Amino acid sequence: MENFEPRIIGFYCNWSSQIGVDSAGVEGASYPANVRLIRVMCSGSVDPEVVIEAFKKGADGVLVLGCHLGNCHYRVGNYNALKRFQLLQKTLDQFGFEKERLRLEWVSVAEGKRFAGLVGEMTEGIRRLGPLGQIS
Amino acid sequence: MGKLKLALYWAMACGGCDVAVIDTHEKILDIAAAADILFWPVAMDFKYHDVEAMPDKHIDVCLFNGGIRNSENEHVAHLLRAKSKVMVAFGACAQLGGIPGLANEKKRQDILDYVYHGSPSTVGRKGLYPQEVTHVPEGELELPKFYDAVMALDQVIDVDYYVPGCPPEPARIMEVVLAIVTGNLPPKGAVVGALDKALCDTCPRKREEKKVRAFHRPHEVLFDTERCFLEQGLICMGPATRGGCSDPPRCIRSNMPCRGCYGPPPDVKDQGAKMLSAIGSIIDSQDPEEIEKIIGQIVDPLGTFYRFGLPGSALRKKRFS
Amino acid sequence: MKKISIDPITRLEGHGKIEIFLNDQGDVENAYFQVPELRGFEVFCQGRPVEELPRIVPRICGV
Repeated sequence: MENFEPRIIGFYCNWSSQIGVDSAGVEGASYPANVRLIRVMCSGSVDPEVVIEAFKKGADGVLVLGCHLGNCHYRVGNYNALKRFQLLQKTLDQFGFEKERLRLEWVSVAEGKRFAGLVGEMTEGIRRLGPLGQIS
Repeated sequence: MGKLKLALYWAMACGGCDVAVIDTHEKILDIAAAADILFWPVAMDFKYHDVEAMPDKHIDVCLFNGGIRNSENEHVAHLLRAKSKVMVAFGACAQLGGIPGLANEKKRQDILDYVYHGSPSTVGRKGLYPQEVTHVPEGELELPKFYDAVMALDQVIDVDYYVPGCPPEPARIMEVVLAIVTGNLPPKGAVVGALDKALCDTCPRKREEKKVRAFHRPHEVLFDTERCFLEQGLICMGPATRGGCSDPPRCIRSNMPCRGCYGPPPDVKDQGAKMLSAIGSIIDSQDPEEIEKIIGQIVDPLGTFYRFGLPGSALRKKRFS
Repeated sequence: MKKISIDPITRLEGHGKIEIFLNDQGDVENAYFQVPELRGFEVFCQGRPVEELPRIVPRICGV
């Protein structure tokens, strides 16, 4: 796709993943500007309605970042995220959304480079898929 | 003050909403006493040209059931909107797109191909499909354009009120008619004939704790008829469905879990997304593999969570890339 | 030719219209009945779980 710059919305949690995201900058690990980061208190608080709204408003991909399982600041929030996300993924698959457009990842405080890598990977993956296109 | 001038129309409909009005039984006489019905194809012989001849805003209230599937549905929606002071989206199809909205999961051409050629009981003639214009020796015949997707009524015209249900409960219909006749309607845009809470509030079943370790299909278990369906692993749309259909809800009383026909509760835009969020949070597991297995037991999330509201949902239809 | 349209047909379930063409003598030359509706239940029911069919197909006709 020529000149297509994927627009990815990234919801990141206030705890491990915030520090992880931040440390990418500290470590000098660059990542594409295609992701617009939005901080939430917990990955478990990301409502599927909000994810769908992001797609409707023009996002080509949505990324949700939380603490590793077992490390959630609220104990079980990221488990809620995992369950909701998997069911949402299954539903969006029936809606014709490619799997690469929605990702849930756990990012620890030390994983700045990994965060940068996965944003780059997701951007390139969606660039190959093309824009999501107009929803409704 | 004269009688209320009432119109009832069905677009992409099954007739159930009109039957629900008739199911008010002897109370229909009260409706007939209070209103002059100017257009009601199921019961009266008025024609489109009778509506076209009316001055604008001549009709006081139009109860419009059925979704928008083709250009005729849309055309009549615009016509009745112009001729009516108050437009009510009546029933699930008008409010949200309804069950025929599940067609939004399929491609328009695939529907035409199967209906006119592919289905085992059809003897289709090669290349023969319904045409918008057909020339016959005597002149021309027209058919409406079959749209790419089903739409809810408010996606084509401005709607004043919504009466939910598939169909709306006759007792609720009487309450709405009474509210209209006595001038007791809430502000424009409201859902009337239902409560402002979720169905669970009116459900008589016993609720303990929602911790589900497995989801079942009805033939897989003998379930307890007194206990909450969801707690037993049977998908019930109650948490994401507006209550007020009947007390107790008829489906629940008949041992069937709620399927969501009254649409989303207040402040919820996407009934399906809200429901899957609720389902996610009641899954009782912290083992990723087990979670995957449990979610695998939910068959057809799109068809289950968006049964009545696919066109009215945030995504509206399947994306064909 | 003069065309008389009966649209919609009434007092039954479903959409329909009748077009009647009259010749110069005012007699019916031909009449056509058309059904201007299609919803595609036979297509979107495919792939659905079998227990949902009794909840979906009554909406083919609410009468």
